[in-house]
Amino acid sequence: MSLLDLSRWQFAITVMFHMTFPAITVGLSIFLSVVYGLYWRTGRAVYLQMFRFWRRIFAVGFAIGVVAGAVITFQMGLNWGVYGAKTGPIIGPIIGMEVVTAFFVEAGFIGVLLYGDGRVRKGTMFVSTVMVSLGTVLSSTWIIAANSWMQTPAGFKVVHGQFEPTDWMRVIFNPSFVWRWPHMLAAVLISASFFVAGISAWYLVKGRAKGFARRSMSIALGIAALLMPVQLYLGDNVAGHELPYQLSKLEAIEGDWGNGNTGFVLFSVPDQQAARNIAELDIPCLGSYIAKDLTCKTAMPGLKLTPAADRPDMAATFWGFRVMFLAAVLMFGTVFAATVLRMRDRLWTARRFHRFVLWTTPVGILAILGGWVTAEAGRQPWIVFGQLRTSAAVSHLAPGEVLFSVIGFSVLYLIMLVAYVAYIVRTMRIGPERDDPRHEPPPRTGPPPLVELPAALGPKEVAAR
Amino acid sequence: MTTTLWSATVLLCLLMYVVLDGYDLGIGVATLFERDPAHRRHMLESVAVGWDGNETWLILLGVALWAGFPLAFGTLLPHAYLPVIVVLFSLVVRGVSVEMASQAPPAPRWTTAFGVASLLAAFAQGFALGTLTSAVHLRGDVYTGSAFGAFSWFCVLSGLTVTAGYTALGYAYTKHKSTGLLRQSAARRGVVATAVGGVLLVVLLFAVDATAAPLNLDSPGRAFAFAVLLLFATGGAGTSLITFPWKRQSGAADILPLGGLVIATVSVFLALGVARYPVLLPPGLTVDSTAGPHSTMVFILVGIGLNMPLVLAYNVFAHRAFAGKLDTEGAHS
Repeated sequence: MSLLDLSRWQFAITVMFHMTFPAITVGLSIFLSVVYGLYWRTGRAVYLQMFRFWRRIFAVGFAIGVVAGAVITFQMGLNWGVYGAKTGPIIGPIIGMEVVTAFFVEAGFIGVLLYGDGRVRKGTMFVSTVMVSLGTVLSSTWIIAANSWMQTPAGFKVVHGQFEPTDWMRVIFNPSFVWRWPHMLAAVLISASFFVAGISAWYLVKGRAKGFARRSMSIALGIAALLMPVQLYLGDNVAGHELPYQLSKLEAIEGDWGNGNTGFVLFSVPDQQAARNIAELDIPCLGSYIAKDLTCKTAMPGLKLTPAADRPDMAATFWGFRVMFLAAVLMFGTVFAATVLRMRDRLWTARRFHRFVLWTTPVGILAILGGWVTAEAGRQPWIVFGQLRTSAAVSHLAPGEVLFSVIGFSVLYLIMLVAYVAYIVRTMRIGPERDDPRHEPPPRTGPPPLVELPAALGPKEVAAR
Repeated sequence: MTTTLWSATVLLCLLMYVVLDGYDLGIGVATLFERDPAHRRHMLESVAVGWDGNETWLILLGVALWAGFPLAFGTLLPHAYLPVIVVLFSLVVRGVSVEMASQAPPAPRWTTAFGVASLLAAFAQGFALGTLTSAVHLRGDVYTGSAFGAFSWFCVLSGLTVTAGYTALGYAYTKHKSTGLLRQSAARRGVVATAVGGVLLVVLLFAVDATAAPLNLDSPGRAFAFAVLLLFATGGAGTSLITFPWKRQSGAADILPLGGLVIATVSVFLALGVARYPVLLPPGLTVDSTAGPHSTMVFILVGIGLNMPLVLAYNVFAHRAFAGKLDTEGAHS
């Protein structure tokens, strides 16, 4: 494997691992705000129970997302030093804005969100929770602005090989940002909804903590039902507004090499070298229908239209898109079924549906990962589309150094992922019963405090003043 | 002008990071010397409420360098590749361990992982800072060094000094936040860590002249500022050494060790900055030769600069919300 391949694998591993966590925590932080707001307004114990339980799952996921995100910032200089030096004047300030307007907001209020329960007033608790979710949303905004600029660069000139901003409005509100941003926000809300609904479904299947589980699932599936149709519309527009700038990505997504296929390629094993598909399964005419031509005459453009040196890897782009698309169809079907069941008043008795929802827990996260593979692999061989090649952006490191980091990250991240899943399973088994304020456990017996000095006040007492 | 202002911002981020994550990593190192599991827990919990904010300064440091001095960002990180990778590995393990241990107690393995990762992170950070004294290899503007080319004994010395300094800060913070036996042991060990850090620092200041980036004290202004700052550092460290052992519960006994060490740390970094400016990496990478274009400088000075007061306010809020001592007498352990 070459230095370039190693660096790309390293980036793929670290960024996919990182993305898994925002896909859970951005939406979950908004969910926590909603739930705590409901508790604050209504005073009903079940909302506090929900807040406490979901916060346990949020806390660790958020921490992993933060530290794995920090890694990516430094990789831009470590492994992509030439990219860092050339795009720094544009990408650097955008990420800088993310740090000051989002990371510090999250960091400032996360302590209260996680440990302030019972130590601060309800209003402070609510504001802190809302501030954390605001931080996560702003963070996604800046990240999408930066990545969209790499997809559809605008508002710059090149001086001595370095990108110089000439119009910041055009840099930030670049052509693909406008649609990719709402698309991404809807995506993280939906993925978190399925995550919450799936875990809640487990309790319904087990017949445990029904009040808690029903309310969690009801909110989650309700949000998903509202957002799924919107998301299909947004996704279609992302394609419509980004692809005129990146035809090569569209060609790779469609899975055709030559022109003339009016069908939709459902399954394919592409051979990049020979520029043909080894195996392929089409749905006739569907490609033409998707292009809004019902006469079955509009053909999909093939990747051979793009010169061989500028072609993205078809397999990664094609399958990344298929994963996202099929997951979206599955999720749409799920929320459609949920809505029908709800209208017939059968949502809480449909046991097979609960079992099914349990299996859809990770589907939203998979859809997001698939979407990112499409966006990133489909942009290749460019790191800044049409301007800077990925092969020209990599740091000139010793391959051994990079191999060390790839192996290190892979092992470390695998352990972290297993630990997080094990933690979720353990938290689920222990269950939300301990978080129910109506069943406070009796105070633990033990020796009384040895001294009662005024200076020995805990944070609880100090903050309560 | 814009370049100088932005250099000051980068330096501010560095100082904030070193002081804040310094105490935070130092507490982690200190847990390794603590036998009592309840004490270890209390120390970890004092970190749990603030580590995220402290670490965010590291990200801002990196990004401030990237935005303002892109060429420096793109060469400095490959130059210090392996130590920085170790820092990142350790910070990942640390962040996850803190949350795992505080969300699902008792978690002895996560607590140990927290300590070991803190030690590794502190040492690797010092080591990475040490590589800033070895010459960088460039072809044109592009980094072309070898994997171990930037390493030297000086890096090891720098790693040890930073570890000792962080540990001293960690003990000072622990003394500030605790009561009873934990407070006593933090006071005792804090003296040792401060003394070791001080001795190592003196050796380091002599050793730096043998590297590719010796101290530049040619002009009287520099020499004067350097001397004054070192005087401050000595005063700060001296204050800590004297006040660490104060046993009586009083504001001064709790604040002065920490305050003295913060002053010492900031002064040392400022002194090294004075003796180095405007070199970023020897021999030829300077603040001016790596600065980004004017349009970027204006954007970051306005956009990020105006947010700085807010950022500091969030930091103050986060620390105020958990002000006061942890109940370390064992009632809730």
